[in-house]
Amino acid sequence: MFNISKDFAPPFKMIEPFFKFGSIIYVVAIFLLLLFDSTKSLEDFTIVGWAHLFLLGFVMITIFGAMAQLVPVVLEVGHYNVDLYNRIYKALSIGSIVMVIGFWFFPILLPIGGALVLFSMATFLYETLMTLKKTKANTLTVKSVKYGNYFLTVAIVIGFIMALAIGMGFNVAIDRLLPIHVVLVLFGYVTVTIIGLSMVLLPMFGLAHGYDDTNVEIAFKILVASVIAYSLFKFIGVNFLANSALFGVALAIIFYFKQLVILYQIRARKILDIWYQHIYVAFISLAASLLFGLFGYFFGWSNSLKSALWLFTLGFFAFIINGHLLKIIPFLVWFERFSPLVGKKKVPMLHEMLPNRDTNFSFWFSLAGLTFGAFGLLIGSDSLFKGGVTLFGFGAIFMLKSVIFILNYSEEDYV
Amino acid sequence: MCSVTKEQIYNELRKIIDPEVGFNLVEMGLIYDVKIDDECNVKVTMTLSTKACPMHQMIVQWVKDAPKQIDEVNEVEVNLVWEPEWNISMAEESVKKALGAI
Repeated sequence: MFNISKDFAPPFKMIEPFFKFGSIIYVVAIFLLLLFDSTKSLEDFTIVGWAHLFLLGFVMITIFGAMAQLVPVVLEVGHYNVDLYNRIYKALSIGSIVMVIGFWFFPILLPIGGALVLFSMATFLYETLMTLKKTKANTLTVKSVKYGNYFLTVAIVIGFIMALAIGMGFNVAIDRLLPIHVVLVLFGYVTVTIIGLSMVLLPMFGLAHGYDDTNVEIAFKILVASVIAYSLFKFIGVNFLANSALFGVALAIIFYFKQLVILYQIRARKILDIWYQHIYVAFISLAASLLFGLFGYFFGWSNSLKSALWLFTLGFFAFIINGHLLKIIPFLVWFERFSPLVGKKKVPMLHEMLPNRDTNFSFWFSLAGLTFGAFGLLIGSDSLFKGGVTLFGFGAIFMLKSVIFILNYSEEDYV
Repeated sequence: MCSVTKEQIYNELRKIIDPEVGFNLVEMGLIYDVKIDDECNVKVTMTLSTKACPMHQMIVQWVKDAPKQIDEVNEVEVNLVWEPEWNISMAEESVKKALGAI
């Protein structure tokens, strides 16, 4: 009865592993924080290894899985070759684990893990850029996908050069390349991508229409210019100008917030569901990390910078990603298992596919953990930080449980 | 002469529920117009709440199939438009209340 093209929804079996792997690594990464001394320098190799586990094994792999679904939606064209996502998953999942083992135990493995990650990301870039060629749209979201991918290209090449240098023992200016790599990944790719996609997803889920998007356009331009300026100035060693460019990043985030307030005010859907709860925490964390970051920078207080980084990664990234997973995964499962039944049987609504008890536990444990963790880092209390990490870990377990429940949701669950 | 009424078509369209929001297309105000000619060909003019709707193709197909549940209906054409842009004021009061918009 319903002969629907799969252009706008990738095959479920192809995307499922991204979310399963990402959610498992999320739990592992959180609990591994219990092994670290939070008073250590952020440049310590064990922490750099953890950052790669979290960012590659959870953030990037989940974003890539989500992009398989979202790219055709936001670009309004089908994928160039969605089958490439199989290779992207295999190379990124194996590569990220090999890289982390390289950081922690055997540096010689770093170039191998780096090569796998490079291959995975290059394949992702190729697929995305070829898909971009098919679209005639030139919206902010399209531009964000383009620029995010350009930044990611440079970031992974720099990352691979550093992995080669560390693994093979030759010298490169890591003190310059590492900050550029971090800024390109965190602000150039992840933040640019989140800003771009959010301008489709927030109005779509919040039913916000007819708004002026000047603020987010300004935010996007400032952010792109700041990331480019930082990378160039840092590379040629003009640190004062490079650091000034970071204020551009902060300014961009302020303009982005102005846009969020506009969307918030005009939204038609005002019910506080689990998605909204995650979005609130994500953006409050982003604002708090901005304040703590600026405070730490001006007053040279490293605890404030650590707390800012915690709020940015575990507050902003984790909450915005998990909130959207609770929208995206039910849709994919529904599309695969229930859309053929429409008109023949009663089918569930997407929100009915969520295990409410577990998603609530996940949210509240994670929020409590985030708060305790941030205060622990701020006042330099390792035990308070570890308490926060433990609570956050429980939240991560309930998130994993929720993801598995939704992935396995079938007709029997809907009575 | 076709005996199918607009009301009958709307009743069939009311059975199409957007699984994301949980409301049918008619109460959401997404169906702008229904025309029925003498040969019982139906033309539905509609919109979606967002151009980026991932269920775009699926919903259009549902709308195409729904009027055919009435035996007399011949061809169904769906005219998907973006002007006027949908907004919450086009939805029925019950939807606005349920969403917390009023």
